Amino acid sequence: MKRYLGQRLLLTAPILIGVSIIVFFTVQLVPGDPISTLVGAHATPETRTLMTKQYGLDKPLPVQYVVWLGHALQGNLGASISQQRDVTGIVTTAFSNTLTLTAFAALIAVVLGAVLAMTITFGRRRLSRMLSSVVSLASVSMPQYSLGVIFIVVFAADLAWFPAGGMRDVLEPGSTTSLLHHLVLPGLTAAAIPTGIIARMFSATLAEESQEPYVENLRARGLSEWTVRRHIVHGSLASLLTISGLQIGYLLGGVVFVEVVFAWPGIGQLVYQSISKRDYPVIQAGVLVSALAFVVINLVVDVARAVLDPRVRASGVTA
Amino acid sequence: MRRMPLTAAVAAALLVAGCNGGAGAAGGSGASSNTLIIAMTAAQLPGLDAGTFESEGWEGERFVGMQLYDGLTKMSLNQDKTGPTIEPDLATSWKVSKDVKTWTFTLRPGVTFHDGTPFNADAAVFGFDRILNPKSKYFNADAAGLIGFYTQSIAGYKKVNDMTFQITTKAPYALLTQDLPFLTFPSPTAVEKLGNKAFGQHPVGTGPFKFSRLISGGSAEFVKNEKYWNGAPTLDKLVLRPIPEATARVSALRSGEVNWIEFPSPDDAASLGKEGYIVKTNPYSHIWPWLFDVTKGPLKDARVRLALNLAINRDQMAKGTLSGFGAPAEQYVPQTDVGYQPSGNVLTYDPVKAKSLLAAAGYPNGFSMTLSYPTSGSGNMVPGPMNEALQADLAKVGVKVKLEPVEWSAMIGDWSAGKMSLGADATNISLGFQPPISWEVYFGSKSVFNVGHYNSPQFDALWSRAQATVDDTARAKIIEQINALLVKDNPWLVVVSDLNPRVITKNVHGFTQPRSVWVDLTHITVS
Repeated sequence: MKRYLGQRLLLTAPILIGVSIIVFFTVQLVPGDPISTLVGAHATPETRTLMTKQYGLDKPLPVQYVVWLGHALQGNLGASISQQRDVTGIVTTAFSNTLTLTAFAALIAVVLGAVLAMTITFGRRRLSRMLSSVVSLASVSMPQYSLGVIFIVVFAADLAWFPAGGMRDVLEPGSTTSLLHHLVLPGLTAAAIPTGIIARMFSATLAEESQEPYVENLRARGLSEWTVRRHIVHGSLASLLTISGLQIGYLLGGVVFVEVVFAWPGIGQLVYQSISKRDYPVIQAGVLVSALAFVVINLVVDVARAVLDPRVRASGVTA
Repeated sequence: MRRMPLTAAVAAALLVAGCNGGAGAAGGSGASSNTLIIAMTAAQLPGLDAGTFESEGWEGERFVGMQLYDGLTKMSLNQDKTGPTIEPDLATSWKVSKDVKTWTFTLRPGVTFHDGTPFNADAAVFGFDRILNPKSKYFNADAAGLIGFYTQSIAGYKKVNDMTFQITTKAPYALLTQDLPFLTFPSPTAVEKLGNKAFGQHPVGTGPFKFSRLISGGSAEFVKNEKYWNGAPTLDKLVLRPIPEATARVSALRSGEVNWIEFPSPDDAASLGKEGYIVKTNPYSHIWPWLFDVTKGPLKDARVRLALNLAINRDQMAKGTLSGFGAPAEQYVPQTDVGYQPSGNVLTYDPVKAKSLLAAAGYPNGFSMTLSYPTSGSGNMVPGPMNEALQADLAKVGVKVKLEPVEWSAMIGDWSAGKMSLGADATNISLGFQPPISWEVYFGSKSVFNVGHYNSPQFDALWSRAQATVDDTARAKIIEQINALLVKDNPWLVVVSDLNPRVITKNVHGFTQPRSVWVDLTHITVS
């Protein structure tokens, strides 16, 4: 187990360095530059030179990369060109906002997905079974971008039940109720696809589990249908964890669109805006943090599976 | 669990909504606490330091620079019938030397920064040092770079005595007081105590509003400065919220989260007006043009450039494509600026004359050209539909235009390097003439931003005279001559001017939409 974990951790470093190199050189290929974007149409050539030097953008690219890497290894991600603030602070705040949204969406996805799966499998009425199937299929197929806009039009602009965007009430920014209120629409939007996937995959697992010989055995003993189902669900929980774990990893990538639609001040929106502003240090740090999060979540899921399932553990050691 | 779990889930969601619906509605009417909440088009809060507010251009000047800080002069913005004029601000009066190079300002007595530090000539020198003297301890390269457009004429500055401050310019320059509203003063005590970096998070100026706090999620809250030298503003609080997507701004207004939005799309503005919101418009110093590369192909010929200017239907564009939120621009001087003459040297719709001019120039069947245009960006209005309308107009006289969209950041990058995006024959970018040195920037033969390579010794001579002319009326006459010259040479296709639409809720009172991109927020109340 330790060796398995060690191997996985060792792989993380080259993955992150690879990501940083790719991002660093790709953003430079895009036309436009951060200084022009920042100082706008009117800046004098002197201004431009002054600022280019200030941010070290006058040096050759490989030198810029090495300087950046050196600082990054010491925990200094540089200064944002468009916001004149430390990147570390900007990225940390944005990332914690993204985690808040992701956690909320994950909660919805797992609970709603499991409930839908159980209705599809055990539902007594045909209508409720069908309806759950339709909901799970629709939520997988609906692009987040359109779903978010529909939610805004219906629930924010027309009905005014929820705010159209943002994360906190500007007048009482500390309020938790207001945070929850802001979370509902982006949370549901982000949760849509994973909910559907969890519902469909978990209902398949439940159906499979229902065919196991022990289920018939339980019924033969005269246990109530209710108790039998409890046993089936219990037997399928490990697979719910695996399915959900993977979905939460994807969720972190998927919230980018949701953040842009709902002006959620997370890492996705930050990177999106920084690309339009060509704010190289922020793009670099934002992508790196996302990559790190993805690697860590995958690692946690793999470890959790290994803990729950000895077969995975064994294959990990031999691999 | 067996029975309709979906309904249960929906009910749970609604419960959350129910619990908070009340809070949300109250939050929206945070209006009731005499607070103005502005949805800006910027994606991020502008920098908060004196100078770095330029990180969001006009919007940064409008909502941060002019609210937290003061300059030596300011513009009269609480008027909507005439364009703004220059008024005393932290300087009560000024004198200019005969050679129009030395300006002596008498400073306003009794003004204090929000932290109580007195404003005097030392504070003025400190402020200028931060953006003009790289050797000073608190030199702020970001601020210096961002505000550089407004400092380019300045050669030196000094304290004459406690309440007298002097500025010298590199060349005779009568327009200095028009640049000064943007050169604002931070509290020297606060900068020395906090250092440049922390000051940018806790700004202290002399302006009508004081910085109160940053709100997570990228908003900022200002409160009124009770001790403002010109009387405290009538608002209690001012909140700035960056919402870059136009549709999201409209949704935020409709759901009551903000009570003021900048630049809705023309369609949205029209429907908001019908719903009872107040739509404010007024022209400002703005032209939405195409810039011709006058060194290329048929566009080398001034007759061709005139023909294109006569071939487009500006009224149709203003009333149709822009639903009335634009005004035809028939000359180079915006209708709000000095030198504007309603008739005389104007360009009007005359496709028949356009055809004959093209024939005379040797293009009876027209020609093909390319145009690069931005897909979005400050002041660019709705570039896609507008350029398609022009394409259709020009096709009628045989000129086939290939439209090539460019992302705004990339276009700004090209423009700064003095290039036309994608090497096109013409480019579309929105431009204004405030401050007036913009004339030189766009048309001067030595200007790096003259991307169309218009080269006219006549223009250069007229402009040097204009910028050395102190008398406003005499200078207006020179601008008239410049317009006459440009209407003959036509380095641009002049199309329309923006009417600067913004929408406010009915409970916002006392706001006057000026003939300017800048605003005065000190007379507003929210009931």
